[in-house]
Amino acid sequence: MIDLNAYLFLGAILFTCGVCCLMTKRNAIGVLMGVELILNGATINFVAFAHFNPTFEIEGQIFALFVIALAAAEAAVALAIALNFYNNHDSIDVDRAEELKG
Amino acid sequence: MPNLLEQPGYFFVVATLLPLASFALLLLSGGIKQLARRYRDQSPWCESLFAIMDGPSLRRLPALVALLAIAAAFACSLAGGILYFQEQSALQGDLAFLQQELANKERELLKAPEESKEAIEEEIEGKRSAIAYRLATHQRRVDQCWQGQFFTLFKLRPSGATPGRGTQLEVGFRVDMLTVLMFLMVTFIATLIHLYSMAYLAEESADSVEDHEVHTAASHLHRRGRFGRFFLYLSLFCFSMLHLLLADNLLQVFVSWELVGICSFLLIGFYYERQSASNAANKAFIVNRVGDAGFLIGLLIVWSYLGTFHFESIFAQLRAPVRDAHHDISFAGRIVRADPVLPGEEGSRRLRIPRGKKEAGQSGVGGSEGSEVILWPARPPGEYHAPHAGQAVKVVANPALDQRRFRDELAEKGEHGAMPYWMLVAAGLGLFLGCVGKSAQFPLQVWLPDAMEGPTPVSALIHAATMVAAGVYLVGRCYPLFTPEVLLVIAYTGAITLFVAATIAVVQDDIKKVLAYSTVSQLGFMMLALGVGGWAAGLFHLLTHAFFKALLFLGAGSVILACHHEQNLQKMGGLLSRLPITGWAMLAGVLAIAGTPLFSGWYSKDAILAHALGFVYVRPGHLLLFLLPLVTAGLTTFYMFRLWFLAFSGTPRDPHVFEKARESPWPMTLPLVLLAACSVGIAWGWPVWDARASWIDVTLQSNQPNSVLAEFGIVSHSDEGHSHEHGHGHGEAWPGAKKGPLSERQWAHELHDYAGLLALGMAVLGLVFAWVTYYSRTLDPAQARQQFPAIHALLVNRWYFDHLYDALLVRPAIVVARGCAAFDLRYLDGLAHALARGAVAIARLDNRFDQGLVDGLVNLVAGTAYAAGGLVRHVQTGALRTYLVFLVLATVALFIVLSYVALAAGG
Repeated sequence: MIDLNAYLFLGAILFTCGVCCLMTKRNAIGVLMGVELILNGATINFVAFAHFNPTFEIEGQIFALFVIALAAAEAAVALAIALNFYNNHDSIDVDRAEELKG
Repeated sequence: MPNLLEQPGYFFVVATLLPLASFALLLLSGGIKQLARRYRDQSPWCESLFAIMDGPSLRRLPALVALLAIAAAFACSLAGGILYFQEQSALQGDLAFLQQELANKERELLKAPEESKEAIEEEIEGKRSAIAYRLATHQRRVDQCWQGQFFTLFKLRPSGATPGRGTQLEVGFRVDMLTVLMFLMVTFIATLIHLYSMAYLAEESADSVEDHEVHTAASHLHRRGRFGRFFLYLSLFCFSMLHLLLADNLLQVFVSWELVGICSFLLIGFYYERQSASNAANKAFIVNRVGDAGFLIGLLIVWSYLGTFHFESIFAQLRAPVRDAHHDISFAGRIVRADPVLPGEEGSRRLRIPRGKKEAGQSGVGGSEGSEVILWPARPPGEYHAPHAGQAVKVVANPALDQRRFRDELAEKGEHGAMPYWMLVAAGLGLFLGCVGKSAQFPLQVWLPDAMEGPTPVSALIHAATMVAAGVYLVGRCYPLFTPEVLLVIAYTGAITLFVAATIAVVQDDIKKVLAYSTVSQLGFMMLALGVGGWAAGLFHLLTHAFFKALLFLGAGSVILACHHEQNLQKMGGLLSRLPITGWAMLAGVLAIAGTPLFSGWYSKDAILAHALGFVYVRPGHLLLFLLPLVTAGLTTFYMFRLWFLAFSGTPRDPHVFEKARESPWPMTLPLVLLAACSVGIAWGWPVWDARASWIDVTLQSNQPNSVLAEFGIVSHSDEGHSHEHGHGHGEAWPGAKKGPLSERQWAHELHDYAGLLALGMAVLGLVFAWVTYYSRTLDPAQARQQFPAIHALLVNRWYFDHLYDALLVRPAIVVARGCAAFDLRYLDGLAHALARGAVAIARLDNRFDQGLVDGLVNLVAGTAYAAGGLVRHVQTGALRTYLVFLVLATVALFIVLSYVALAAGG
């Protein structure tokens, strides 16, 4: 029987990988992928807590479904932004998006 | 529109308004023309309009408009005048008939046996009431047809008074015999002068006029012609003058008084580029202001004590009525004076009318002494009992704001108003001062000779015939307002003026100046006549003088024009052959003014001298009042014939002037001929050779105010208040008068022939002197000059009046003005400058404080915020990954802190 800690470790590793991906990737698609990793790390936590804590019934799984749906929607919007950005700048390097500099 | 035949008084209203309409029309068209002139370059429409209005045919149109207006006004006054004369003669006829019957019955009463006396007395009473009834119907007719109120200017309601009781100002008109005669005279002369001016001022209708009297750097002044403007002023003048005659109250008179003054000012300064003309206009205006100040004082006194400006109610309040409910009143027509009874009651006062003394020259009626004047009801109510001498009169405490009706209500209760006598004297003197200014009497006579700077037709119309006579007219109009003291002042003022002016006229060389001084002198004659009780004589002379003086001025204008604006008599001579019509017409005027028998001036001047003689006969202390006019009658003849001989007879003294002289065109000679005819025959009556039979004199005599008879006509009644009889103020039929010594007016009547003979003698003397000096040249005027250098210097310098005023008033005024200017420049300006400088210094300091401290603080805050922003803004890199790094670092830091806190709490 695999205990809760294993799941939490997996979630933490996924989250850390996602954050590292976010910070290191200059490609907008890569950044998006990092976001997906972070979301998945969180989702694993939800499901694991729901499974191991008897006070919960199905709330964790439902929340996971919500997060997946949200991630899909967010990916659609983000891809649209990326496309637009590419149309304007001929690249999707996020470091070149600095017009909001103070 | 009132029916003119039913209300013929409106004929005169129309006659007054016609010149006003012409004035308005000329003003409007002149304004349009000026606008068109200004914008003719910018708009073709304005250009064509200007071309039409400035065209040769339209340029003379203003004169025609003004002439037509004034001629129509003359026609209107003629129509109204004829209707008025008809009505008057009907009244006079009826009254004469009734009085004749009354006299017959009275004679019958004396002879009748005792038993039939009662019946005859009853009949007499009947006749008397018939006369009263006839007079009452006439009064109603006058109220209805010959006067009117147009509107109420304002109503003053004293606080706490019942509604409808208050003082009010009304605008209205009133026509009486004096108005009618004056209207006929003014409109007739004005019509002729309009016609004359069309020719006299013909050169003014040109595009450019050269003024030879004004020198510019290169040559003479060139200016635009002022033809239209002249007739504009003339129309305004005619309206103002007629309105002055028509007004039924003092306020309207004052308004038109100022209007004629401003017209006079504008026309004297018609050639305003000439320094002398603009100075003369200013002088006339300023000197008249002195008189008008007096006029205003008079108006204010009248207003505050009598509460009205309406002539009729002023006179009715001041002069005792002829009858009350039962009796004829003993002091009918007099100013009744009374003394306060001590001690006064609360709330109201009592005055006692003193009994008169029975002395010669003193009226026995009483009421001629005392510090207060009783004010009578304007229209006595039915049950009115007039107080009599020796009786105490109840007087209301504050009559100042009473209206006429209010006083009438009081009269029903036996109460009267009162005003201080000295106030009435002051009011009379004030009004007379106004007349002194307008009629150029001593000591304000200095402006009229200078006024000759205006065009000659203006001198004829305004400064000889009409406006300057307005002062005399007003004295005649306000006659019941003048107390005996004021009348004496009037007489002396007139006497001094007529003598001083005549003496100056003797040495004048300017043809217009001679006539100007002659005008002043003749106005003095009129004032003198009014002052000594010759009301009719003074106004009669006003009318006749207007004709012959207008003639003389127009003749002088004709001469001046013929001699190309040469006015010096010494350069003329022998002009009769060149200007026959002018010369002979002027001779008629000269004869008239000299008082040649059968000429108009003869009748009026004799009447004046007769009244002066009558006055002096009763009061020998005032001998000067007869001597001065008598001597002046001779002087008048002398200087007028001097003028005529110098201008028209002998040999030409300046061939240059003589050669160019030509008779004037018909529009100028026609008025001369017509006026000459009037100067000869305007005053004729039947029989012509009787100096007392002139129709104007007779008409005026029968229309004179009661006060003339009350002051100068009746002497020594018996002392009992109600015991004797009066006529009703018409003619000399005041039977009480025959009991005592003769009065001034009766002596004037008795001595008329002597006065006339003396005057004729003086005139002949004057003529002889003029003949030997200036015609036959037996006497050399230069020699006379050398023999009396002091007198000659006095006269040439116009008795030093101008010098005196210059030294006393003008120079001190200039010195004071300079001083004020220096003070202004030095101290007031200095103070202002110092203040300004102080303000500037303070402002500088303020500025520094503002900029340094206030702005500094604000800038400091802003600068700090700006610097902070500059520092912090670098954090906002805009780079996504930088933000993420911050985010992660912050999260990690938060995590560490929280873990630490949890550990610490848990530990």
